[in-house]
Amino acid sequence: MSNHVQPRPLSTSIRSLASNQLAIAVASIIALFIFGEIISPGFLSFGHLMSVLRLSVFLGIVALGQALVVMSGGEGIDLSVGSVVSLGVCISSSLLLGKDANIPAALLGAVAAGFAIGLVNGVGVSYVGIPPLIMTLAMASVVDGLSLIYTGGYPRGTAPKLLEALGSGRVLNIPNILLLWVVVIAAATLVLFRKRWGAILFGVGANGITAELSGINVKRFRMFVYGICGAIAGLAGFFLLGYTGTPYLSLGAPFLMTSIAAVAIGGISLAGGAGSYIGAAIGCVLLTTLSSILVSLRTTEAVRQIVYGSLVFIIVVAYTRRKKD
Amino acid sequence: MKAHRVVRGLLQNSSFPSFLMLVLLIILNAIIQPGFFSFQVFRMNFMTFTPLILVSLAQATVILVGAVDLSLGAGISLVTVVMASLMQDSTLSMVLVTLLGVAAALFLSLFNGFFIGYIGPPPLIMTFATSTMWFGTALLIMPTPGGHIPQAYYMVYGKTLAGFLPVPVLILLVAVAFCLLLGRIKAFRHLYAVGGSERAARASGINVAGTKIFAFFVSGVFIALAALCVVGQTATGDARSGQGFTLNSVAAAVIGGIAFSGGKGNYVGAIIGGIILGLLINIIYFANITSFYQEFMKGVIIIVALLFGAVPRLRRELSHH
Repeated sequence: MSNHVQPRPLSTSIRSLASNQLAIAVASIIALFIFGEIISPGFLSFGHLMSVLRLSVFLGIVALGQALVVMSGGEGIDLSVGSVVSLGVCISSSLLLGKDANIPAALLGAVAAGFAIGLVNGVGVSYVGIPPLIMTLAMASVVDGLSLIYTGGYPRGTAPKLLEALGSGRVLNIPNILLLWVVVIAAATLVLFRKRWGAILFGVGANGITAELSGINVKRFRMFVYGICGAIAGLAGFFLLGYTGTPYLSLGAPFLMTSIAAVAIGGISLAGGAGSYIGAAIGCVLLTTLSSILVSLRTTEAVRQIVYGSLVFIIVVAYTRRKKD
Repeated sequence: MKAHRVVRGLLQNSSFPSFLMLVLLIILNAIIQPGFFSFQVFRMNFMTFTPLILVSLAQATVILVGAVDLSLGAGISLVTVVMASLMQDSTLSMVLVTLLGVAAALFLSLFNGFFIGYIGPPPLIMTFATSTMWFGTALLIMPTPGGHIPQAYYMVYGKTLAGFLPVPVLILLVAVAFCLLLGRIKAFRHLYAVGGSERAARASGINVAGTKIFAFFVSGVFIALAALCVVGQTATGDARSGQGFTLNSVAAAVIGGIAFSGGKGNYVGAIIGGIILGLLINIIYFANITSFYQEFMKGVIIIVALLFGAVPRLRRELSHH
């Protein structure tokens, strides 16, 4: 039965890529870099460009999970990603203890913890019918509590050399983690637009009832999408430790609002069923550039919060208006 | 025969499971909280229960109309910050700043209501975005908790009037009176119609946008009262003091039998939900759970409460098959 679901034609994906919203996003990135160069010379240099892109990668990984959840429809969203990233950082560092040999265990630990948390979200959303935003918001406080209990308030351990090389090293002046992101973007795009799984995701997101009728177990599928989102957030925590070197309890908190903003900027329909990961990735670069500008302007956390909030607000309102027209 | 029908009616009432839970929790609290039935403990408990019940009422109102408000907690913080940064010791200043605080709460709520009513973005995302904006603004005004709330002002919240009426209970009675008044207004009945089916409401000539804005106005009144309670309780302005109320308000409303789909539930349920959540938090506090576990337990309890809130719906679904 489910063989009827065909992968989307490539032309559709190219058209969605060429949509106005992404063009505006790319133009904004260029404008922001020029503005940055004016207020702080050196902003446009290759080195700074690379460091902005490197910071975008961590957000980009979190945003991949967020994008999948949003695409899967049913008002899908995951507000626990920030907390799961933090937990991923704490679990990784405590398992690594600065030794390269412990990398497989730490990787597995962070991803498995994220996956388990995501599955609980998925069960609550899919099978119990709790609205995703509420379920994952409650989960965020549970996971924050878990991090506290797990670390006793003081995360221990450090990143080993190999992980630091991945998180902050460079090859030919290009950050290693950026090369990894290119692979992730290519793989995600391939799965979304060329593989059956991607077709099912868009099918489930666009219309759960028709997907159910064509033989897909929509509840189970959505549950797994939340699991994958959690696993990806845990993975992001693992990589993030490679960048910071030492763990902190709330390292993941800034990723929550920004991952949602990136998805919205990237033209991924908040109603589900449409969008591309490249869009979200461009959104991540835009947000990281913006945050870099805000840092060079020496703005406080308060101003950054207002800017991010207003940005999502404007996008959501503009998006709703366009849909109505 | 008639008694049988009464019992069945009671069992099927949407507030019945929460009422049962309330009785159970009162028994539990009576066991672990020393002097639970004494007047002093009653007064102390209501100092924390009243803002919870108020935010539950606020959230219930917007959920009834088919929306939700995730900015409510940040809104409360912002109001406390505004009030604490402006208040002086003179009586005139206290009165003016109180009025300003109420106006600010109404403005924030109406801001959400205006956009949700007239433009129609998904309320969850819209209020999540405004929540970040309110939090940032509060942080901008007051990067660290502080400001000045005169002693004469915040002491009022702990006072007992005429020897038997604690001020928090009085505030609650004002809120209940407001609820009773609302029941007589036609626009309030439209809330249920719009929450139940927007299309049907529009077809029968109800002003849908206006009704949503009205719901956010009513919610704003409850939020304003809650913010005043928080100022009385904490005696400072703090950009994070309201944070916990967002999730608590949703949980309380859901426990109280307010259906997330909109159009179903009532204020009695919302009040019971608020008290239940207060009693649950009390248990965590008095059961000597270390502070590390408290945050975790609160989250778990809310998830369990959400599951509990979903039970009647699941049972209905099962009986349909």
